[in-house]
Amino acid sequence: MNPFTPLFLLLGGSLASLLADQLLERVGAARWRGCLAACILAAALMLFTWEAYLGVSVAEFRLIGPESPLTASLKLDYLSLYISIIFCGLGLAACIYSIKYLELESETGVDRYYLLLLTLIAGLVGVTLADDFFTLYVFWELMALSSYSLVAFRKWSWEAVEAGFKYLVMSTMGSLAVLLGIAVLYGIAGSLRFDILAQSIPSGGPAALLALALIIVGFGVTAAAVPFHSWLPDAHPAAPTPISAILSGIVIKAGAYAMLWSLFKLFTPTVYGFGVVLIAFGILTMSFANIVVVMQGDIKRFLAYSSIANMGYIITGMGIAAYILRSYPSMVGAAALALTGALLHILNHALGKGLSFLCAGCYILRQGSREISELEGIGAEMPATTASFGIGLLNLAGVPPLSGFWSKFFIVSAGLGIPSDGLLLTTTLIFILNSVLAAGYYLWLLQRIAFKRRGEADPAAGEAPALMLAPVIALAAACILITITISPVLEFIRAVLGVLLG
Amino acid sequence: MNIYELYFGASIILIVLGLYAIASKRNLVRIVLGLEIITLGVNLSIITMGVRVLGGSYKVDALAQGMVAISMAIGAAVAALALSMAINIYRHYGTFDIRKLRRLRW
Repeated sequence: MNPFTPLFLLLGGSLASLLADQLLERVGAARWRGCLAACILAAALMLFTWEAYLGVSVAEFRLIGPESPLTASLKLDYLSLYISIIFCGLGLAACIYSIKYLELESETGVDRYYLLLLTLIAGLVGVTLADDFFTLYVFWELMALSSYSLVAFRKWSWEAVEAGFKYLVMSTMGSLAVLLGIAVLYGIAGSLRFDILAQSIPSGGPAALLALALIIVGFGVTAAAVPFHSWLPDAHPAAPTPISAILSGIVIKAGAYAMLWSLFKLFTPTVYGFGVVLIAFGILTMSFANIVVVMQGDIKRFLAYSSIANMGYIITGMGIAAYILRSYPSMVGAAALALTGALLHILNHALGKGLSFLCAGCYILRQGSREISELEGIGAEMPATTASFGIGLLNLAGVPPLSGFWSKFFIVSAGLGIPSDGLLLTTTLIFILNSVLAAGYYLWLLQRIAFKRRGEADPAAGEAPALMLAPVIALAAACILITITISPVLEFIRAVLGVLLG
Repeated sequence: MNIYELYFGASIILIVLGLYAIASKRNLVRIVLGLEIITLGVNLSIITMGVRVLGGSYKVDALAQGMVAISMAIGAAVAALALSMAINIYRHYGTFDIRKLRRLRW
């Protein structure tokens, strides 16, 4: 079997869903249109998992001749497999959740929704599989265009169109910065294939530095690093809830992935000292977001800001790894530990934040409001949702037995691995302070939602519909499953590190 | 001044003009135009990077030409989406003026 079948399945499925919509409409089964998309996502997820289970050797796919610099190429390795499984898994959960959600919210334009959802996931998976910069850019724009449309999906509301326009302007500028960086790299190497670029960049001189800066800034916009984050807190609340979960759980991770890939594989950290820059971005991102998050009264805005903070943790983890690789070339073990933490946190945050957004969506649907003060105590009336919400928040807070603890613990212990280094020590201390603050406000949110006493019992309140509850419980189960089976997950991440560090 | 510096300089000027338009203009359509000008500047720089001297005359690498063709198509899609959002904003507010619609903190 071709290892890229899942990608072609997603791309073909998005076209097929256009045709199938007309058919379903005609036979009067329009409410089943989400099932097709869910089946395609489930098939893609199963194929990727199967490949992971068999153990991939590196597979390549070239569109034009094997040796030409003009190729459009795809490559499957452990890193892309790891990220793709996360993307497809959360995409599937959000897709199943959407079926009932869109019906209850009586959204219009549902015929376009699943098409956009599938192209979004196809773009994300394509980004992870791309093996030359231009293929990456094309899939990146496929992902970006569908997410702009999905943020502005409720075009009848002023909030969605404004947030969508703002997201479009900022994210397009980021993409253009990346494209300019790609142009400069193309000028240096005469090709865009990653293997050729990796050889010619170290001798690139100041032009390569310019490209490095453009690429960090460009991907930083999507990864919501702090000076470029301001699209995120508007876009997440304005989008339909399953889309907020996808944006927060995986779209911003695509920024982190693209940074990780291009920085560690192309601009080798031993040649360029970008570790300090990443650490600075990371500290700024997490400290700013963690302070602002406490002031939010809107639950989706609250979760959106905490996503920015978590991106800060991931970027800091990457920065610590790059810094150690450059300053202490013999300490590869500590760098690997920091990268393990960052990669595991990508998984933990995708699950935890996706889960909390989906639960928040259930509460918002019941209460008809996004204000935390009005949602207080609603959790007691929806026990299954609240139990899952609690697991998600505790995972994000990093409460010890859950896997969210381990990812932060790995980053911290890598930072403390070289006690003589002042920069690493300060970074780690700020990281710990931030984690403690974050754990505090997650528990505070959980306490307000779940345990606060309500004045009068609301007769309309009750458990969320089964079709919305199923993905929520599945994600909560996945959080616990990963905690229990942490050692095979770490084994897999070790294989991923083999790709990144060689 | 050789041809690379000339064209790369021109593309940088286009990019700066586009950034200026986005930062200073108050009209949504002009902001979209600013984005398009940046796209043009970046495309021009890709073409510049693809210029090769072959047999005494300048040729552009086929990879660069292919990339720019695709990038123009993507730019058109972005512009179409941006304009459709601008139309929706106009329906809500009856104006393209960005100062009138800052209900979100920009």
